[in-house]
Amino acid sequence: MHPPLSLIWFFLTAGISIGLFNFTYFMEFLTLFGKDTALPKHMVLISNVISLVLIGLGAIGASFHLGHKLRAWKAIKRFHTSWLSREAVFSGAYGFTLLIFALLRFFDHTGFWYHFFGIITFILGWLSAFSTAMIYASNRFVLEWNTSISVLYYLNMYLMFGSSAFLALTYFYRKEFVGTYIFLTFLFLALGLAFRLAFNIRQFYIKRPTINEALNLPHNRPIRVLDTGTTTDNYCTEEFYYKKGKELLPSILPLAYILTFIVPLFFVLYIWITGRVDYNFIKFTFLFIVVGSALERWCFFVEGNHVQNLFYGLYPEEGYTLRKGYMERKKTRISYR
Amino acid sequence: MPQYALVIDLNTCVGCHACATNCKEWNTQASFGPLSDFDPYGKNPKGVWYNRIMTYEMGEFPNTQVFHLPKSCLHCQDAPCVPVCPTGASYKREQDGIVLVNYDDCIGCKLCSWSCPYGCREFDEADKVMKKCTLCIDRIYDESLPPEHRKPACVLTCPAKARFFGDIEDPNSEAYKMIKERNGFVLFPDMGTNPANHYLPRTETKVHVDEHLLEAENPLFLEVVRRHYKGG
Repeated sequence: MHPPLSLIWFFLTAGISIGLFNFTYFMEFLTLFGKDTALPKHMVLISNVISLVLIGLGAIGASFHLGHKLRAWKAIKRFHTSWLSREAVFSGAYGFTLLIFALLRFFDHTGFWYHFFGIITFILGWLSAFSTAMIYASNRFVLEWNTSISVLYYLNMYLMFGSSAFLALTYFYRKEFVGTYIFLTFLFLALGLAFRLAFNIRQFYIKRPTINEALNLPHNRPIRVLDTGTTTDNYCTEEFYYKKGKELLPSILPLAYILTFIVPLFFVLYIWITGRVDYNFIKFTFLFIVVGSALERWCFFVEGNHVQNLFYGLYPEEGYTLRKGYMERKKTRISYR
Repeated sequence: MPQYALVIDLNTCVGCHACATNCKEWNTQASFGPLSDFDPYGKNPKGVWYNRIMTYEMGEFPNTQVFHLPKSCLHCQDAPCVPVCPTGASYKREQDGIVLVNYDDCIGCKLCSWSCPYGCREFDEADKVMKKCTLCIDRIYDESLPPEHRKPACVLTCPAKARFFGDIEDPNSEAYKMIKERNGFVLFPDMGTNPANHYLPRTETKVHVDEHLLEAENPLFLEVVRRHYKGG
């Protein structure tokens, strides 16, 4: 699949926004149970402004994916069937309630309505994240994405962004939470690495359809594409098969792993083991996660193979071959080309 | 419920692209047009097409067969492109089962094309909306046309008469009879989309060679005979 930069941008901005609010409000929420986790007003406001600006920039960036930006409001119409519609509704509502929450904090109304809007924003943020993840995971024609691992990984990425961003903020305002958030960042990084590995390993075991199945022809006949009816690329071959991306994928994917997981894990473990809390390490942990995740999302799109590519002979090869009178199923050969 | 669809005979289709060309010609000027072209006279001409013809080779050399597969929207009875549309621009008509796109509501998010396993939707970069085969809905209901012309442009133009149009749920229609009598099949049945467009299977070509042609001095015919009567 061709990676749309606008969607990668939305993933990063919405991920940091929702992740950061998640941990900011979680600390405030714990005060309801008598815990001493209240955050300074200044910190809550800075966190909320960052979240608001990012979700706004994310929405603007994501609109560049649309052909008609001014009609985007119509996306609320098919809420009952479309995950994209749900994403639009939940992310819009999240931004609105987040603004109210920030205003309540600004005017020092920290009573019932403050927590009411905090909880609502928290839930809407996660519903928005879940809806975005489901857009990919529910697509049964891109088998690489069509798994619950896509959703778990996606939600965990938001937690990775949130914990590392909150760590960078709490260093200045409530240093006693640094240890907790070092652990949480490590935990979500380790989980993220496990989910991403599972996502990649799974690709070797997917039972892929063949061109014979696409054309509904007997499996014992080898079929070859002779002509696709056009002398150049068309929408289908460009949108669903990114040739340049497939060539770069073997180089970019390891780089994405290193930047998203390996380097941040090294920084976090260094702080944890040595006990030396250096802000530069905290800062770079977050930055590496963001840059690495941008590359990881790019890989996520390029790794996806749409089944319509079968008609063009651009799908990873798998099929049947006649050998000594019986049909033998070929082994899946994962090809990045 | 009626379900209009195309039935395409792979046995007679010669891959001449006349259906695609006439489709483009009609739809560029009609209600659902234009079908934009980019760099049409340049090095990399591109454009939006409702109908594309693929050519495949089946079998192993020397026993191979070539067949052509015209592929346009299959107007699936369980169309996966419809529920994913966030605006409701993609819809399936109850009265005839045709899947259409309302260009005034389409926001150009491309999600419907991601949800089509056949690659039958194309994004028009000029109009910024998704476009697809309409089964020439502006022809088939046009009462100003003579009844024999109220068919999709691709059906009317096919020189090999390989394309048929009709209600596949109506036992009296030509399309229904073709499917029943000649074992019509659909593309990608495992995808659970229940396509309405059907294809009539290609039968293997048998060459009948008269006895008087079986002469030793004619190596070409001997080769043909050897291939077709091998083992029998």
